[in-house]
Amino acid sequence: MQISDHTFDDWVRQYQRLLFGIAYWWTGSRTDAEELTQEAFFQAYRSRSSLREIEAVKGWLVGILRHCYAQMFRKGHSRIEIPLDEVMEKSGETIDLRSDGPDPHDFLALRQALERLDERHRLPLVLFYFQELSYREIAEALELPLGTVMSRLSRARQLLHECLTRPVALRFVKKIRKVNGL
Amino acid sequence: MNCDLYRSEMYAWRPGSDEKSFQPLFDHLDSCAECARLFEQLTASDENVRRTFQSYPQSPFLESRILSGLVHQRAQASARRAGWRLWMLAPALVPLLIVLFVWVAPRFEQARLNREMAILLSKPPALEINSTDRKQLLQWSASQLEGPPALPAELDKVEFRGAAAIRVAAHKAVLLKMKNEQRASLVIVDAPLTQDNRFHPMQEGSGSSSLWSDGRRSYVLLFNGTDQELHAYMTKMGIIA
Repeated sequence: MQISDHTFDDWVRQYQRLLFGIAYWWTGSRTDAEELTQEAFFQAYRSRSSLREIEAVKGWLVGILRHCYAQMFRKGHSRIEIPLDEVMEKSGETIDLRSDGPDPHDFLALRQALERLDERHRLPLVLFYFQELSYREIAEALELPLGTVMSRLSRARQLLHECLTRPVALRFVKKIRKVNGL
Repeated sequence: MNCDLYRSEMYAWRPGSDEKSFQPLFDHLDSCAECARLFEQLTASDENVRRTFQSYPQSPFLESRILSGLVHQRAQASARRAGWRLWMLAPALVPLLIVLFVWVAPRFEQARLNREMAILLSKPPALEINSTDRKQLLQWSASQLEGPPALPAELDKVEFRGAAAIRVAAHKAVLLKMKNEQRASLVIVDAPLTQDNRFHPMQEGSGSSSLWSDGRRSYVLLFNGTDQELHAYMTKMGIIA
């Protein structure tokens, strides 16, 4: 399939935020997510002739992001667990915590819960909640059988809800409020 | 079925799922208050998780970074394609270069030879040895060149009166002045300047010449006269029939 540079640039504008979001929740780091998103788009550009249908571009891009994620961590880029307040100070992350936004407690709890989950549960879970992809779309993006995705997601949701019921350290909540000037 | 089994079913359900396949779950929820409460909690928690997932850090410069990276990648790809195109042209260019070399090189050589012969005709070198002894002259010539002091059969009748060592087209050569014809001289060059033994007439400004080769040496008969006069001389001396 012939894809013009102009079309590809439009896809970058349209999907970079989506890919960055997925990568962020997969890695738990803004820097890693930026690196992954860039690499995914560069690899997608190089292999753009492998896209079979224009309509499948979103799933195709997520699939490439997953490959890049696997490559990144295969190269020894391991997920180092850094305390959240430290991460936020270093990366200068500010999270949308307006009055109508999510509770900072929920945000931290979710990040901590995701960190506790292993990769085979975390990856489909992010696609399930963040993008609300169907089971079939998740199966295609992760190159897994449909049944495997369904059983993993069921288990992952169970684990997530269990993790979320555990309290998050209050000092993290205070820290995030301070960073966001709340 | 017990409650535990229905609870694992709850995690498989999501809004928009096929209602029929989950009908046993909903039937159970209607009859079990504890599971119904848990399902309500799970649904509410799911909604909260979905909203929380939407709050993640921004990366305002990511789009421009990706786009500029793509520009760089395209420039590199374009340079690589240009390089390949050049390599693809190589098979076509090589024969062209060979043809040019084969066609142009002899013409350059010929032009150079013509110029040198014209100079020899207009300004002949001073003789280094004066003798009418053919054998002595040929031996002297052989000492200036490489190889035996022999001439091809067509020059058997020609007599000489002197010789000089020269260089023609960067090769060793000798010029022999003819005994009975003041206007004629023979140049023996120690290299094959032509590929065949045919006579190649050359018209110079101050005379004529004829080049031929025996495959090892080249011979140029210089003549201060017209082409017809040279031809007549060569016929008279038995050089050509």
